[in-house]
Amino acid sequence: MTGLRADAAIALAIARKDALAELRGRQIAGSTLFFATLVLLLFGFALGPDARRLAEAAPGLLWLAIVFGSLLVVARLHQQEAEDDALEVLVRYPVERHAIYLGKLLAGIGAVGVLGAVLLPVVGILYGIPLLPAWPALVATLVLGTIGLAAVGTFYAGVTVRMQAREVMLPLLMLPIVAPLLLACVKATAAAVSGNPLGDLAAWVQLLVVFDVVMVVAGAATYGHLLEE
Amino acid sequence: MPQTTIYAAPRIGEQTPPAVATHELARLFGRSAALAGVSLSVERGAVVALLGPNGAGKTTLLRIVATALRPSFGSAEVDGIDVARRPDLVRGRIGYLSHATGLYDDLTAAENLRFAASMLGLPDGAASVDRALGEVGLTVDARRRVRGFSAGMRHRLALARLLLARLELVLLDEPHATLDADGMLLVDDVIGRWKAAGSTVLIASHQADRVSRLADGWARLDNGLLSEIGGNGVTALESARVGQPAMAGA
Repeated sequence: MTGLRADAAIALAIARKDALAELRGRQIAGSTLFFATLVLLLFGFALGPDARRLAEAAPGLLWLAIVFGSLLVVARLHQQEAEDDALEVLVRYPVERHAIYLGKLLAGIGAVGVLGAVLLPVVGILYGIPLLPAWPALVATLVLGTIGLAAVGTFYAGVTVRMQAREVMLPLLMLPIVAPLLLACVKATAAAVSGNPLGDLAAWVQLLVVFDVVMVVAGAATYGHLLEE
Repeated sequence: MPQTTIYAAPRIGEQTPPAVATHELARLFGRSAALAGVSLSVERGAVVALLGPNGAGKTTLLRIVATALRPSFGSAEVDGIDVARRPDLVRGRIGYLSHATGLYDDLTAAENLRFAASMLGLPDGAASVDRALGEVGLTVDARRRVRGFSAGMRHRLALARLLLARLELVLLDEPHATLDADGMLLVDDVIGRWKAAGSTVLIASHQADRVSRLADGWARLDNGLLSEIGGNGVTALESARVGQPAMAGA
């Protein structure tokens, strides 16, 4: 097997293992979806019944809920490695370190992607924004935003996995780094649902692509060193 | 996937490196030294017991050789390869059973082993899994989630993970702990099979009587130092300071 195919097989095995553990344990899905939906509802109540105000705030609230939910998702995906020292066993397998990162990244993309796919229609209903006319741009933004969040989250979950105060440290480290991503996702989503009147959708999408590429490459190159004790 | 590495056969007159060699191996945790300069050599194919009280440094030594921990000073070699510099070259040959089993609670016993087989790049993963589960007596529990396993069953499953692939070096940290009488006999039997297959086995244990029956030789650690050595298969290197606390209190 070539190196690339071997790395892909390892990454898929890790992602499959994480997905299977989550499907069995359902430790992420229920709590994260409930939490993110609650965030959307509470913001909705706080903003009041003004339909225009709600529609204007919807892109920002959608992505805030996804970001908060992704914090729980990536933390849990690494938490299962910390239980019973599975991480030490994982790290000692004779595999390339970047393949471990890519496996965790794939699992993170799957989980954050499901979260976004559920929250998008919820936002559409709660905040009264038309999603169907803009669905190609919304899906592209969701995919790119998901990859970026999972890339940064996986990296910082690796940084904090051995820390005692990892639940506190993960958001402190991750949120400043995803600020540009959050901005680009909100702007791209707003442009998409409003019919792109300023013609700036492509620019925000390009920014998302660059962010994703930089974060995935940086994560793959450095993640292995984080795991060594 | 494990990379296939071809090693040149030793030439006539050239010495084969020992299975394990440590040179002034030291590991600090904060200001205390878990290992304080251990130099020993273990022959290929030998079964060696590491003895000593709690805190003697046995687990630390095994973890460094297993590439799970980096030394603070000195070096450890497996087949002449420095494990801290090139862990990638030795990881595929080493099996390590530690106190923690490293299992995934929400996966079944078979799924845990299938994942390990994937990570080891075993071409006949399913067959290896079935065989390993059978060898540790867990065939009937193959489809049960590990979350419901007792400590002894978890230990057996972790042992089964080591049986998936042919290993050149096996490191066992208290392999009899948490096991019932049958489980202990199983471990003894597996160690015997590793020895028959030519694997080198290092066993850290408090059960001196039990492991002495299995081992060719033994080394005793005290306060991070080699204090006694005996039997066959293990020797203190020339630079070793047997029983001299060179770094005690470091």
